[in-house]
Amino acid sequence: MRPKLTGARRFVAVAATIALAAACGGGSGSDNGGGSSGGTANLSDATIIMGTTDTAVHFDPGDAYDLHSWNVIYNVYDELMTIPPGGNQPVPSLAQSCAWDDPKTYTCHLRKGVKFSNGSPLTSEDVAYSFQRSIEINGDQGVCSLFSSLADCGKWTGNEISTPDDLTVTFNLRQPDATWPFILTTGGAAIVPSDLYPETKLQPDDQVVGSGRYKLVKYQPGVQAVLERNDNYWGEPAKNARVLIQYYKDSPALKLAIQGGDVDIAFRNLTPTDIDSLKTASGVNIVEGQGIEIRYLVFNTKLDPGKDKAVRRAIAYTIDRQSIVDNVYNGTVQPLYSMIPAGLIGHTDAYKDEYGAAPNPDAAKQELAGMTTPIPIEMWWTPSHYGDGSADEYTEIKRQLDGSGLFKVTLKSEEWDQYTVDKAKDAFPSFQLGWFPDYPDADDYSAYFYPDGGFWNGHYDNPAIDKAISEEKATTDQQKRVDAFAKIQKLAAADAPTVPVWQGKQIAAVRDGVTGVEETFDPAYIFRFWLINKS
Amino acid sequence: MARQTTSLRTYALTRLVLVIPMVLILLTLVFFLMRVAPGDPVSAALGGRLSPQALAERRHAAGYDKPILVQYVNYLGDVARGDFGHTITDNRPVTEVIVENGAATFELTTAAMMVAVVVGIVLGLIAGRLRDTPVDVGIRLFGIVIYAVPPFFLGFLAQLFFGQKLGWLPTSGRASPETQFLLSIHTHFFLIDSLIDGDWAAFKDCFLHLILPATTLGLIISGVLIRLVRVNVLQTLKGDYIEAARARGLGERSVVVRHAFKNALVPVVTVLGLQVALLLSGAVLTETTFNWPGIGFELVRYLNNRDYIAVQGIITFFALVVVVVSVLIDFVNAWIDPRVRY
Repeated sequence: MRPKLTGARRFVAVAATIALAAACGGGSGSDNGGGSSGGTANLSDATIIMGTTDTAVHFDPGDAYDLHSWNVIYNVYDELMTIPPGGNQPVPSLAQSCAWDDPKTYTCHLRKGVKFSNGSPLTSEDVAYSFQRSIEINGDQGVCSLFSSLADCGKWTGNEISTPDDLTVTFNLRQPDATWPFILTTGGAAIVPSDLYPETKLQPDDQVVGSGRYKLVKYQPGVQAVLERNDNYWGEPAKNARVLIQYYKDSPALKLAIQGGDVDIAFRNLTPTDIDSLKTASGVNIVEGQGIEIRYLVFNTKLDPGKDKAVRRAIAYTIDRQSIVDNVYNGTVQPLYSMIPAGLIGHTDAYKDEYGAAPNPDAAKQELAGMTTPIPIEMWWTPSHYGDGSADEYTEIKRQLDGSGLFKVTLKSEEWDQYTVDKAKDAFPSFQLGWFPDYPDADDYSAYFYPDGGFWNGHYDNPAIDKAISEEKATTDQQKRVDAFAKIQKLAAADAPTVPVWQGKQIAAVRDGVTGVEETFDPAYIFRFWLINKS
Repeated sequence: MARQTTSLRTYALTRLVLVIPMVLILLTLVFFLMRVAPGDPVSAALGGRLSPQALAERRHAAGYDKPILVQYVNYLGDVARGDFGHTITDNRPVTEVIVENGAATFELTTAAMMVAVVVGIVLGLIAGRLRDTPVDVGIRLFGIVIYAVPPFFLGFLAQLFFGQKLGWLPTSGRASPETQFLLSIHTHFFLIDSLIDGDWAAFKDCFLHLILPATTLGLIISGVLIRLVRVNVLQTLKGDYIEAARARGLGERSVVVRHAFKNALVPVVTVLGLQVALLLSGAVLTETTFNWPGIGFELVRYLNNRDYIAVQGIITFFALVVVVVSVLIDFVNAWIDPRVRY
């Protein structure tokens, strides 16, 4: 679920970090080389088959805002900037270089000679068109909200982007936005051919064209998508010739497929039980990598009992994250002690510092001194959006809270579509939520969570946190941003408008002989098919 | 004879005319049942994601702000033109879903029907012939149990045993990923398309993938046929003409095989047609279990996405298929049995 940005002011001076990355001329990844086609030393004719239970919504970046659609988009299209494998800072990709002219003007110079997979040249006009149509389409998925610093969804004026020549693009932002280089790395910022894609509606999914390492040659919804290596690609080509993405209905079918060798990789969403079983399966290896998706419990601070800070703190003292990690998820996730996950610059274990790593029932009791216990709590979760473990997770949370004698939890659930409507209407006193990053920066976990009650409409308001968010956006000084994030996390932990529970790992089951999956597992959540090969 | 032909023609025409109110009643039921829940398909699918204004615009574009009777008339007109609308989830014409995925369901249900007929008729004949023997008891027990077992449970068992434990057969999909990619699509029937291409490897791959789901679904249907055929055999063997044949000195084998069995199978034709509805509903569960990309598989996917336009279109198609098949079965019955007349 993605929010609309409201009220966040973004200011940036010279982006020292971005300039440093730009000066590296393409970053640390060898696959973001200096502009000429890479050698063929590591190329193979291999076909990689990946099984998944994810489904795609659109392969047109004009209105794609889900993980799987973006995974395909990252491989079929190009963006001006990218996060290299193992990195967490944006570096130029389609752009040769990008830099701030002033706090609201960001200019990128494109690489020469780049072509789309259909052979047509990629120019600045295509870049401008891509952003314009995303804003004008204003699609159901809401990806245009990522570009709120450029324009409001549905309201393109024509002044947002300048293209003085075929290789120069200048973004004229409405307000300074330090995260703009990160936003240019996202799937929503992928570049489409202006002579092919319609201006106000989406391109059919089986007819998408990009300038990335692959071309989409076949798509049957719910069945199969096929990517083939794009020989027109400007940079280091993909290591494999073809990727078949096979869609499965559920994890048992996917598990059988990887065990039987029908697929080379099984990625999303194997259950913890499946993963445990596959660890001993012949010919299958489990590959893990850093993930930064998070799950947390939210309190509506206008409703009982969440409006009472003492109750929120007592719950934070009581929840046993390690028990959830071990008993519900079999160690496939890790305990989370902050709304900013480990692995991002600026993360601190603020909730551990405030409440301890393990439950503290005495402290919880002290928080509730003078109150009548057990305190009734209505707690909501959704079975259809956050995976099969949600039911067990919230049953375990209920068991922990009821077992303390301080609370009496009533669990309720709703399907996701209705859940998103009702949580916004103050129907839930406390509820489950999760977050996938748009880009790997701590700002993505702060700016959407705290100002104006957060995207989940929890009504929590803390001017000191809002001020710290403004401070971290207003500077490119790494240490100042780290200090600001530390302050945000400390203040949030003290008030506990949310209780972070766990942070996910990226986990795939991989057949023997398949390489490269571990290289692509990093906080950027870009599944880089081009790194994968098999013997 | 001429009188019989005229009577058959009259029956056929009358039966065809009766299709019209039957279809109208079915379409009306589908239309209004889909609107029993509060809201409309657009709000149900997208209400959590769109602003109220955007939602109102979408509802207006889809015609859901019109009076219900106007929507109903428009719906009937669209169905008459073969326009079942576009899915909200992936903006596909529902007709395209029916054609592409319908072929997969037809392939599965045809194979399942073959399994059902072979297993059901053979076992039913044997049970009827060997009445009250241990063989008869065993077959009757099998028929009851196999009919009662949920398709997904039988499917899971088949996957675990034949797929995982023995490794003999594939457990999901219509074909291996490579075959699916490489196969040229002519008719959307993979077995036929592979034969058209002369690709025996693909034919074998598709056939192997068909075995488990078709056998699972077919065995469940066979439970009905076993009992029906057995009862018919027992009744037929009691008939006077059977006694007469024996009295004339015909061998028992000839009496049973050439006379009794044939007559016992006549009512099976009617029942087979009625099993179409059971096949389609069973296909939903079977396709989901075996990841078979048929209409049932898509129906579940669209249900989970609350894509009521797609769901309405697919259910309408199911209803029309059942009507057409039941009419055909009535024609066949009338042709076989002169007593079937209006």
